[in-house]
Amino acid sequence: MSESALYRDLVLEHNRSPRGLGALPACTHAAEGDNPLCGDRLRIELALDAAGRVQGFAFSGEACAITTATASLLGERVRGLDAAAIADLDARFARLVRGDCDADPALDGLNALAELRAYPARRKCALLPWATLAAALRGTPHATTEATA
Amino acid sequence: MTARTLPAGTPLDPQRIRADFPLLARTVHGKPLVYFDNANTGQKPTAVIEATSAFYREHNANVARAVHQLGEEATAAYEATRDKLARFIGAPSRNEVVFTSGTTQATNTVAYTWALSRLQPGDAVLVTQMEHHANIVPWQLVCARTGATLKAAPITESGELIVEKFVEMLTPDVKLAGVVHVSNVLGTVNPVAELARECRRRGIPLLVDGSQACPHMKVDVAALGCDFYTLTGHKMFGPTGTGALWAKREHLESMPPFFGGGEMIRRVSFEGTTYADPPHKFEAGTPNIAGVVGLGAAIDYLEGVGMDRIAAYERELLAYASDALAEVEGLRVFGTAARKAAVISFLVEGAHAHDLATLLDHEGVAVRSGHHCAHPLMQFYGVPATARASLAFYNTREEVDRFVAALRKVRKLLA
Ligand SMILES: Cc1ncc(COP(=O)(O)O)c(C=O)c1O
Repeated sequence: MSESALYRDLVLEHNRSPRGLGALPACTHAAEGDNPLCGDRLRIELALDAAGRVQGFAFSGEACAITTATASLLGERVRGLDAAAIADLDARFARLVRGDCDADPALDGLNALAELRAYPARRKCALLPWATLAAALRGTPHATTEATA
Repeated sequence: MTARTLPAGTPLDPQRIRADFPLLARTVHGKPLVYFDNANTGQKPTAVIEATSAFYREHNANVARAVHQLGEEATAAYEATRDKLARFIGAPSRNEVVFTSGTTQATNTVAYTWALSRLQPGDAVLVTQMEHHANIVPWQLVCARTGATLKAAPITESGELIVEKFVEMLTPDVKLAGVVHVSNVLGTVNPVAELARECRRRGIPLLVDGSQACPHMKVDVAALGCDFYTLTGHKMFGPTGTGALWAKREHLESMPPFFGGGEMIRRVSFEGTTYADPPHKFEAGTPNIAGVVGLGAAIDYLEGVGMDRIAAYERELLAYASDALAEVEGLRVFGTAARKAAVISFLVEGAHAHDLATLLDHEGVAVRSGHHCAHPLMQFYGVPATARASLAFYNTREEVDRFVAALRKVRKLLA
């Protein structure tokens, strides 16, 4: 078992076996995000249905465990949701990692990243997948964590 | 007893050195601190902390302006560091030492006051693939304004400058060359004297970024034969916001001031202003007086220990650390130059540099992760980031052992 509050077992497990890693053949929306602080890059591909709900989610890139686990958990959580619902979750996640709340049931597995409250320097790692997802939904091809800090 | 009383020939005793650095006694996350981020900034000996605070407690006044007693004392203390620094780097004259806020300001001073007026469209500045952004971006900025181009000499996979290529690239369009003395990422010690000779033969001034050399080895700018040498005080165990540009007198005399203001003038009128002689011409405004006084104490401290003794100790510690790391499975070291300072950039298979750094920090081990302000070097190795352990003369074999043990633990966790 992990002794680290940040690297909880769920985070380590999603880093080891990320869900949705790769490309999406039926991709309708995509964006690339980068974290200029560390040079990490992430690509998210989405398949949206006619109502704008996420039916497919895939990600790829070179990133740390925090980014990878967040992207993996995020993909699981947003399936079936539209942009408005995802924006709501995004705001909740931002509150969680800022330490404004201890846990938020709506975030489900993403609560595993709550300890980021104690790691301001690593927060952007978890925000990169969110920023990239938001860009893909908006139809902007590129996102950066510098604007979301 | 402090390290200053060591007789010549005695090897360095890290425990005695450590006693002079109060911060090294602290814990991090409940573990004894292992500070391996010295290439980022060095810790400060009591002598530096005391000198800075004694200045504020006992001598504080502005420099070169006041005739009162405190003003005399402040000026004398500030100028004493210039003498020390000139001696420390082998500068032929104290008037060739310009205080700056660090390497970055020193390099920008050369970029804007030496290069900007000389570069023409079609000209070039030559640097190397292993430069810190501080020796890349200032040249890009002046190139953009002048139509000149920036070129980079290649390195080998082991992180050594390909000297023949560098020399080959010293074509007539090159008006200035810049090279890092010791790489902050790879630890590579560049053959500066040889490069300077080749530059001199072609009449091309050479700027050397000495940020990582000054804390670890004897530097002699006259023997190196370069034209400009930049350094930063905080990596030499001195205060932040201190540093210097050394330049040959002829260059300093030909360069216009960078900043204008107080301190740097001889006579000001609305019809025209005449400037002070170097170095004061380049020190406009009230400088970081207490910091410079602290830098003087840092130089005294380093000289008391002896740069040769420091270099010998660190060489041995680097060999020990390199051997220990070679035993860690899946570990890749970036930079294996034959002449190398105690800087070890590395990655562990399956682990991102940031995860390594955060998890090592949990074990009390401070290393840096990221691109180390050297994007082109990361691009060369095809990685977004590395972790970096950079050692200093107060680090020990026991700390290396703790670092390696922590690394093994982290590797298991992430596997
Ligand atoms: C090789 C090198 N050059 C330049 C710098 C910049 O130094 P400073 O930020 O103190 O100006 C550094 C340190 O960050 C460095 O390692």
